Amino acid sequence: MNETTPIDPEKIEPVKSIGVPMPLVDGPEKVSGKANYTADFLEHGALVGRILRSPVAHAEILSIDTSAAETLPGVEAVATGADFVGQFGVLPIARTEWPIARDRVRYRGEPIAAVAAIDVETAQKALDLIEFEYVELPAYFTAEDAIAEGVTPLHEKRPNNVERHVDYDLGEVDKGFEEAELVCEGTYDCAEVCQVQTEPHAAMAAYDGERDRLTVHASTQVPYYVHLMLEQTLGMPKSRIRVIKPHIGGGFGSRTECLHVELIASALARKCNGTVRIILSREETFVTHRGRPEQNTTLKMGMSKDGRITAVDTTTTQRGGAYAGYGTVTILYSGSMVFALYDIQNARYNGYRVLTNTPPCGAFRGHGTVNVRFAFESLMDEMATKLGLDPFEVRRKNLLKAPTFTANDLMVNSYGLPECLDIVEKASGWKDRKGKLAPFRGLGIACSHYVSGASKPVNWTGEPHATVNIKLDFDGSLTILTGAPEIGQGSSTILTQCVAEVLGLDVTRIRILTSDSLVTPKDNGAYSSRVTYMVGNAAIDAATNLKAILVEAAARKMDVQPEDVECLGEVYRAGSQDQGLTFEEVVVAALEGTGTITARGNFDTIPESWGGDKYRGAAIGGSMAFSYAAQVVEIEIDPDTADIRVEKVWVAHDCGKALNPLAVEGQIEGSVWMGMGQAMTEETRYHKGLGITGNMLDYRVPTIIESPPIETHIVESIDPHGPFGAKEAGEASLAGFLPALTNAIADALDIRVSELPITPDRLMEIMEEKKKAARKNADQKVSA
Amino acid sequence: MELMPDFVLHRPTSIEEAVKLRNETDGALYVAGGTDMIVNVRRGIEQPAALIDLSVVSELREIVEDDEGLHIGAGVTLETVSQDTRVLKHFTAVAEAAAAVAGPTHQAYGTVGGNLCLDTRCLFYNQSEWWRKSNDYCLKKNGTVCHVAPGGKHCFAAFSGDVAPAALVHNAEVDLVGPNGRRRVPLADIYHNDGMDHLAFEPGELLAVLHLPKSEASMPSAYEKARVRGSIDFPLAGAAVWVKQSGDKIEELRIALTAVNPYPHLIKGLEKFSGTELNDGALDEIAEMVQSQAKPMLTTTVKPWYRRRVIGAIARRLTKQLSNTT
Amino acid sequence: MKNFISMTLNGRQRDDAVPGNMLLVDFLRETVGMTGTKIGCDGGECGCCTVLIAGKPRHACLTLAASCDGTDIETIESLETGGRLSAIQRGFHEKLGAQCGFCTPGMVMAAEGLLRENANPSEDEIRQGMAANICRCTGYVKIIESVQAAAEEIASKESAA
Repeated sequence: MNETTPIDPEKIEPVKSIGVPMPLVDGPEKVSGKANYTADFLEHGALVGRILRSPVAHAEILSIDTSAAETLPGVEAVATGADFVGQFGVLPIARTEWPIARDRVRYRGEPIAAVAAIDVETAQKALDLIEFEYVELPAYFTAEDAIAEGVTPLHEKRPNNVERHVDYDLGEVDKGFEEAELVCEGTYDCAEVCQVQTEPHAAMAAYDGERDRLTVHASTQVPYYVHLMLEQTLGMPKSRIRVIKPHIGGGFGSRTECLHVELIASALARKCNGTVRIILSREETFVTHRGRPEQNTTLKMGMSKDGRITAVDTTTTQRGGAYAGYGTVTILYSGSMVFALYDIQNARYNGYRVLTNTPPCGAFRGHGTVNVRFAFESLMDEMATKLGLDPFEVRRKNLLKAPTFTANDLMVNSYGLPECLDIVEKASGWKDRKGKLAPFRGLGIACSHYVSGASKPVNWTGEPHATVNIKLDFDGSLTILTGAPEIGQGSSTILTQCVAEVLGLDVTRIRILTSDSLVTPKDNGAYSSRVTYMVGNAAIDAATNLKAILVEAAARKMDVQPEDVECLGEVYRAGSQDQGLTFEEVVVAALEGTGTITARGNFDTIPESWGGDKYRGAAIGGSMAFSYAAQVVEIEIDPDTADIRVEKVWVAHDCGKALNPLAVEGQIEGSVWMGMGQAMTEETRYHKGLGITGNMLDYRVPTIIESPPIETHIVESIDPHGPFGAKEAGEASLAGFLPALTNAIADALDIRVSELPITPDRLMEIMEEKKKAARKNADQKVSA
Repeated sequence: MELMPDFVLHRPTSIEEAVKLRNETDGALYVAGGTDMIVNVRRGIEQPAALIDLSVVSELREIVEDDEGLHIGAGVTLETVSQDTRVLKHFTAVAEAAAAVAGPTHQAYGTVGGNLCLDTRCLFYNQSEWWRKSNDYCLKKNGTVCHVAPGGKHCFAAFSGDVAPAALVHNAEVDLVGPNGRRRVPLADIYHNDGMDHLAFEPGELLAVLHLPKSEASMPSAYEKARVRGSIDFPLAGAAVWVKQSGDKIEELRIALTAVNPYPHLIKGLEKFSGTELNDGALDEIAEMVQSQAKPMLTTTVKPWYRRRVIGAIARRLTKQLSNTT
Repeated sequence: MKNFISMTLNGRQRDDAVPGNMLLVDFLRETVGMTGTKIGCDGGECGCCTVLIAGKPRHACLTLAASCDGTDIETIESLETGGRLSAIQRGFHEKLGAQCGFCTPGMVMAAEGLLRENANPSEDEIRQGMAANICRCTGYVKIIESVQAAAEEIASKESAA
C-alpha cells in the first residue's frame, strides 16, 4: 500500500493467522543451510575442547594427575572437578552431579577431565597424558542388582539405591477388584531408549577476562536452567553470564536439563581466558544420554462384565542411571498419568526410581507416561478380548466427562478423546475389517494423553510462568522477544501467529528473537509441551496490551474515544465510513512522547490445575489442560522372518485448537513415528555398563523405508484456558503407538507381546514358543 | 574437526602404480569408496601411515563383457552394478546384493571391490578407541580376550558384505594384482574362516576384477538379507541362491551365506539334491543344511539364534521362488 | 604432508592445500566456512553431511578432501538462485519437510541427486532414493510430500518454458 493509493475500507480486514496452515517462520534459513547451530559458529581463535571420560563404571577416584597435559605445548587449559564450586541437577532437591567427576565416578563415560587446546590432535594428546588412578567399586547395571541387599550405594543419601519411591492408594482398590468380573495381571518391559536428536550436543563458551563476562552458546532446550547451573557450578554471578540458544537440531527431552558440555566448555574458557568450542561425537551424545529409562511394570486391572475398569494397581521400576536428573519427576509422572486418561476412581501405585551405574536417564518425549501407557492399554485390550468386548467399546465405557477432576485431582476442562475414537474407528474401517483380515495381518487400537505444561514450575521464583515482550519501534516493525526456545517444534511460528492474530497483521510483518539472555525475557524452556500453552498465552497477553496502546494512540489522533476505534490490522478507524489511519500512522502517534514501546504479556497457571495433594508429589501431572489421542495401527507379519511391516497408522489427536494445522500434523506424525521406533527397533544396550549401541547403526532409528503412511486427524476440543483454545500437540500421540502395535500383533497372531522393542528375533522367539506349546498340547491330547 | 590418524594420501592413476605405492610404503592401506574404511580410520581401528586412494584408477571402473562372461572392475560402484542391465538379467543376485548394501548414498560411491574386501564386524570391535580401550580391547585388535566367546582364541567377527555370496553362487573369480603380478583365483579362495584375518591375500595384493562367468541357469539367481531396518543396516544374515533345473528336477543348486560366519560361506553338500524334485521335503532339508552350516555368534545386538533361524528361512524361500519361476 | 587440490565448489573453481587426512566435511565447514553441511553421526550413519560430487550424493564425512582433487562438488549453499529458494528447498519449506532443520541440508541434497536422475519419482522411488538419510522429527511423511511438491514444481516450470 503506497501513500497515493487511498484506503478502500471495504477491502481492509484483519488478517487471520490462527488456524491457518503455514510454513515455519524460520524455514527459509533451515532449508538453505543458513541456519546456524551451535557447531556452526566459527570463532576466530576458538580452542578445541575435549573431554576425558571414565573407562570404569563405579570407582573411587584416587587421583587425576594433569601435570603432563598442562605442560604440553598448545594446551591452554586443563579442567577437573576441582574447577567447579557446586553440583548441578535440574531439580533443586537433587543437585548431585559434578560437571566433571569429583571423588567418584558412577558410570562409564562420565567426564573425569577436560582440556582446551589449539587443535584436536593436541587436545587428544593432552587427554592421553592424564593419569587417572582409581579403586573400583561394585557396579550395578540393572535395577534389580542395584537394590539387592548389601549393595554399595551410589550416593550416600540413597543407601538402598532407590532415588525415589512414590506410592498412592486412591479410592477403594481392593473392593474394586472384588467387584470385578475379571481381574488380570501382566508384566511389561520396555527397553531404555535415547532421543537421538540429529544434532550432537555442542557448546561454545567465550570468557572476557577484562570484564569478567561469560557468553555461552549451547544446544539446549533450557537456556535459563543452563544459566542457573553456570552460576551454581562456576560460582559466577548470573548477571555476568549470557546464554544464547542458536538453532537447535531437535531435543525430544535430551536437553531439558543442563548438560556437562556447557559447564565444561565454560570452565575451560574462564580458565584460559578465551573461547572454547566442544562438539560432542555421536557416541558421546549417547553417553550423555538423558533418555527414557528401562522400565518394568506389573499392572493389575479389574473389569466389569460390560468393560468398566473397577480398579488398577500398578507397580513399576525404572532403571534411572547414575544420577537423579529428572528421575523423581519421571516416576511421579508414571503414577499420575497411568490411569488418569480414563474415569477410574480406584487406583494404587508403587513406583521405584533406582540408581544404577549406567548413564543418567532424563525426560524423553512423553515423559514418564509412555511405558506405563503401554502396560495399561495392552492389559485393557487383552481383558476386552477375554470378555468378548470390542476394544473401542471398552475404551468408551471408561471415558471421563469434562469438565471434571480425575481421582488424583487433575483438572480436565476439555476432553476430545470420544471424538478421537470415533474418527479412527471410522477412518480405519475397524468395524468392517477387524477380525476379517488375511492371515498375519492385524489391527490394533490404543489411546494416550499428555500435559500442556507442568502447572508448578521446577524452580519456584514467584515470577509468572511465562513472559513475552513485543518491541515496537519507529520503523513500524514488531519484534517478539521471547526466551522460549525454538528447537524445531515450531514455537517461534506459533508465537508469531498468536501476536499476528491479535493485531490482525500478516505474520510477515512480525519478527521474533528467541533465547538470548541479553535481550529476551527469561523463559523456563521448551519441555513438557509448555510453550504453546503458556508462552502462547503470554504472547496473546503482550499483543493485547500492545493493541490497547495502539488503539489509544489512534483514538487520540482521530479525536475519538478508544472504544470507538476499530482495529483492522493495517488500518485503525472509527466507524466504517472513516478513512482511518494506517498502521504506520498509528505507530507514529503511539511513539509520540514515549519513544520505543515494549509491551509485556504474562501467563500464570490457576491453583485448580496444580494437581492437589492426595499424595506426596501429586503436583506432578497437574496441568492447565491435557491433550488426547487415539490411534489404529495396521500391520502385516512375515512368517518366515518375523518382520513386522506397519501398513498404515490412523491417528486422531485432540489439541484443543490447531493454531497451525500444518505444524500440528508435523508434530503428530513425528510423535507416532517416534513411538514406532521405541516399539519396534530402538534400544540402548550396555556391556558391563559400556554402551554397546552408541552409534546410529546399532541404535536403530527407523529409516524412510519402513516408516508407514500416517493419516492424521485433528480434533479441536477448544480448551477454555488455552491460547485460542489450544493444547499440547507434540507428545501425546507417541505413547499410543506402542500398545496399538502390540494389540495389532495380538490380532494377527493371537500372541500378547509384553517386551519392547519387538524386534524380529524377539517376535520369532515368541512365535516359536507358541508353536511348541501348540504341538505339546496336541501331543498331550493324542496321548490322552 | 574430527580426530584423524596422521596419514598421507596417495592417488595413483594405474593399478601398477597403486600396487607399487602400497608395497613401498610401510603401513599403507588401499581405500576405494571409503564407506567402511574411513569409518574404521575415524574410530582408530585402522591407523594407516598412508592411504592409497583407488578412485582415479580408471581401469578399475570398467565393466567388460565377452564370450566368457562379465568382468566388473573392483572400482565400479554398487549403484552401477545394481542398475546394469546385463547384471540384472544374468546375475540377478549380484544386482540385488549391490542394491541391498547400506543405503543409496553408500551405493553411489561404495565399490564392488570394497564390498568384497569388507572387514569383518563385531559389536566389540566396531566401536571407538575410547570404547575398545575401556573394554580392554579384543582379540581382533590390540587385545587378548574375545568378548564374544571369552576364553576362545578364535575371532568370530562376521563377514558382512552383501555382494560376495551373490558372486559365489555364480562361481565368480577375481583378479588379484600384487608385486609379483596378476593372478586369477576363485572368489571362494580369497577368504579364510578367521574373523581376525579373513582375506587370504598375498601381501600388498589388490583385488582388481570380479569375473562372473556366463550362467548356465535358465533363470537368474536371487539374494535376500535379514535386517532390522529397511535401509542402512548391514545384513544380520544374507543368502544368495542359484538353481539350474531340468523340468521338475534340480540339476545343480548353489547357496551362499553372509553375515553368519567370518567369511562368505558356500553351502556344502548340496550336490545330493541333483536329480531330485524340489518339493517341500527337499526345501525343509535345504533350510536345515543352511542353518547347520551358519555359525552366527553374538556379534550383533540381534540374537544369533534368530540369525541362524532366519537364514534357513530365507534360503528356503529364495530356492522355492527361483524354482517356481521355471 | 599436504595435498594440492583443485576443485569446483558450488560452481567456483578453487585451489587448496589440504592435509591428506582431512575429511571433506571438515574442509567445507572449517576451512571454507560453509557450515550448511552438518555432522550428525560418527560416520555415514545419518546422511546429514550429504553433498553432491559429480552430481551423485556422497557422505562428506567419509570422503577425504584430498581425494576430491579434480571433482565438482555441490553443497546446500549452491542451490538458491538470485536469493530465492530452489524448488526442492521450497518444497521442504512449504510442506514442512524441515522441522529442526538439522538433517535438512543432507535431505535436500539427497533429493537433488534423486530428482536429477528421476524427475518424476513414485512414492516408492522417493523412499528408496532418500533411504540413507535419517530424520528424527518428521516421521518422513512430510519429507515425501516435500519431494513430491518439488518434482511437481520443476515439472510445471519445465512445461511452461
